[in-house]
Amino acid sequence: MSRIEISNLVKMYGSHKALHGIDISIQPGEFCVLVGPSGCGKSTTLRMVAGLETISGGEIAIGDRVVNGLRPKERGIAMVFQNYALYPAKTVRGNMAFSLKLSKMPKAEIDRRVNEVAEILELTPLLDRKPAALSGGQRQRVAMGRAIVRDPEVFLFDEPLSNLDAKLRGQMRAEIKRLHQRLENTIIYVTHDQVEAMTLADRIVIMRDGRIEQQGTPDAVFHDPDTVFVAGFMGSPPMNLVDCMVTPGGLRLGGTELACTLPEGLRAGDRVTFGIRPDDIRPAADLPGGVPVTLPVDLIEQLGTEKLVHFRAGPHELIGKTGGRVDLAEGTEQRLAFDMAHAFFFDAETGQRIR
Amino acid sequence: MPTAPVPTPTPDKEDAVTPSFRLPTAAGTPYLFLLPGLVILGALLSVPLYKVVEYSLYDNVIVERNPTFVGLDNYRDILGDPGYWSAGFNTIVFTVGSVIGHMIVGIGLALLVNADIHPRARTFFRSMLVLPWIFTAVVVALNWQLLLNPFGLLNYVLDWLGLITEPLDWLGNPDLAMWSLLVISTWRGYPFIMVSFLSGLQTVPKELYEAAEIDGAGFWHKFWHVTLPQLKPVIFGVALLDLIWTFQLFPLVWLTTGGGPGRATEVLSTLTFRLAFVDFEFARAATVAVSILIISAAFTVLYLRNEARRL
Repeated sequence: MSRIEISNLVKMYGSHKALHGIDISIQPGEFCVLVGPSGCGKSTTLRMVAGLETISGGEIAIGDRVVNGLRPKERGIAMVFQNYALYPAKTVRGNMAFSLKLSKMPKAEIDRRVNEVAEILELTPLLDRKPAALSGGQRQRVAMGRAIVRDPEVFLFDEPLSNLDAKLRGQMRAEIKRLHQRLENTIIYVTHDQVEAMTLADRIVIMRDGRIEQQGTPDAVFHDPDTVFVAGFMGSPPMNLVDCMVTPGGLRLGGTELACTLPEGLRAGDRVTFGIRPDDIRPAADLPGGVPVTLPVDLIEQLGTEKLVHFRAGPHELIGKTGGRVDLAEGTEQRLAFDMAHAFFFDAETGQRIR
Repeated sequence: MPTAPVPTPTPDKEDAVTPSFRLPTAAGTPYLFLLPGLVILGALLSVPLYKVVEYSLYDNVIVERNPTFVGLDNYRDILGDPGYWSAGFNTIVFTVGSVIGHMIVGIGLALLVNADIHPRARTFFRSMLVLPWIFTAVVVALNWQLLLNPFGLLNYVLDWLGLITEPLDWLGNPDLAMWSLLVISTWRGYPFIMVSFLSGLQTVPKELYEAAEIDGAGFWHKFWHVTLPQLKPVIFGVALLDLIWTFQLFPLVWLTTGGGPGRATEVLSTLTFRLAFVDFEFARAATVAVSILIISAAFTVLYLRNEARRL
């Protein structure tokens, strides 16, 4: 278990600046997830921690050592790759034992460790197979086993589940969570999937264009987003985000007046981005304290336990939710309620939250 | 009485697309297209092949109008001739030595030109290193003769460095000739191996090297545990192909040492040529040629099996 301190980390590719001074402080044993869209710099950051990319500026410390100049093997890390990166010519046992052999560990100790980890990951019957004879999920477990046997200070995961189908992804997610609870190592985990980030993380770092948009606990980034980007990125279906005009009594949403109390400093005539999660728009009967509006229902998506209700407010399409058994018809006018206690307002220009 | 409506038969798909003109044997059509190629191949390959085998069973072929059929006598003669065995031994030394040389230099240079250097430099080195392959054997042989000649550049440089006291006859000294020939053959033949390995190297996933680096592997460990296993199928196939080519290589040997000095670099292909066009013993030449054919065919079968397994 080690603390990781990333300070003012910069990455240049020629004259292109890929990372603009990243600061992340990860506590010992913390599960930190870097999340963001493609090209946001999350994988680059991870690879710089691993020592696979050079550092153009700033500092990375693992434990109490600055590792900028150290080679990957000297950093006390183990990494799980997106494509598993198993050695195809070696058996599962050979893959898991490779790093231990290179470190000249006695054979008996190597065998003990490999067998123990294989037992934890249910790989024992597969130890003599080659990677080509394994399923995607099994390969993923071998890749994790290869990392675990080394007993590293820090685990690095680079989108480890993105090559698995949805069901297996769910299972492996739970397995990684359990493993973290058991091993209590410090983990940096990169994903573009916000569900993975929410379920696994102790701390989520949301990145965009080489900068950190926000970092904090899953609760904090979900329920208290700092920017319109974070609000829109976290959550599925995403938060409804609509450009509105402030009126003396609230907001004008399309042609409809939405009565509500706005943050101080907003005046009639200002433009704001109004955000509200689908959970906070329900049929008026389900949400007695909400602000009622009557709007036409455009489309209904049946998810089983609940339904997503798409409706129109002038030029804007919004999504609300209702129970799976509630009877709603497309094309009808419905009386909906907005839970304005959970509404967000962002500066229409900068995207910053207005509190 | 009302009649039940008769269903109109719908034309099946095949009928619908069949053209009005049809070749008499549809199954034979592909063979019609193959015919010109087969005829040319047959004329250029099968006829000479048949003739060579036929010659090896006669005496005084070509030089006499009515050669005598001698059965396997020519083979018995050849197998009892120490010249044949020494040429056979030289062929093995030359072939194995060349293939090993090609492999080592080819892999080494492939690793170098696959390195992460400036793209322009990489293109430059890749083009330069393929050059030995594109010269004709005559040019290669002449250049190396000029270099290795007792009064050539190599001796001049060695003398200047003080490494030799008198010039060495690299191609004319029986103790040095085979070594010199192997160097020339290695220089001439490595580009094909290098290009094959380069394409193999480019298919090795980058993550494997990164995983190995994190696992603590240095250059040799990465080469041994990642590169080599990934190249193994390529290595085996390319080595066999090289073996087949080098085994019957003629122009380079003939144009540099001519099989000499004495018989020091005489290989089976130069022996065949000498028997046919110097000694005019066409039947014996044909016999040696058939022996080359049999051994090459055996290697070819091995190669084809290996390729079939890979696919």
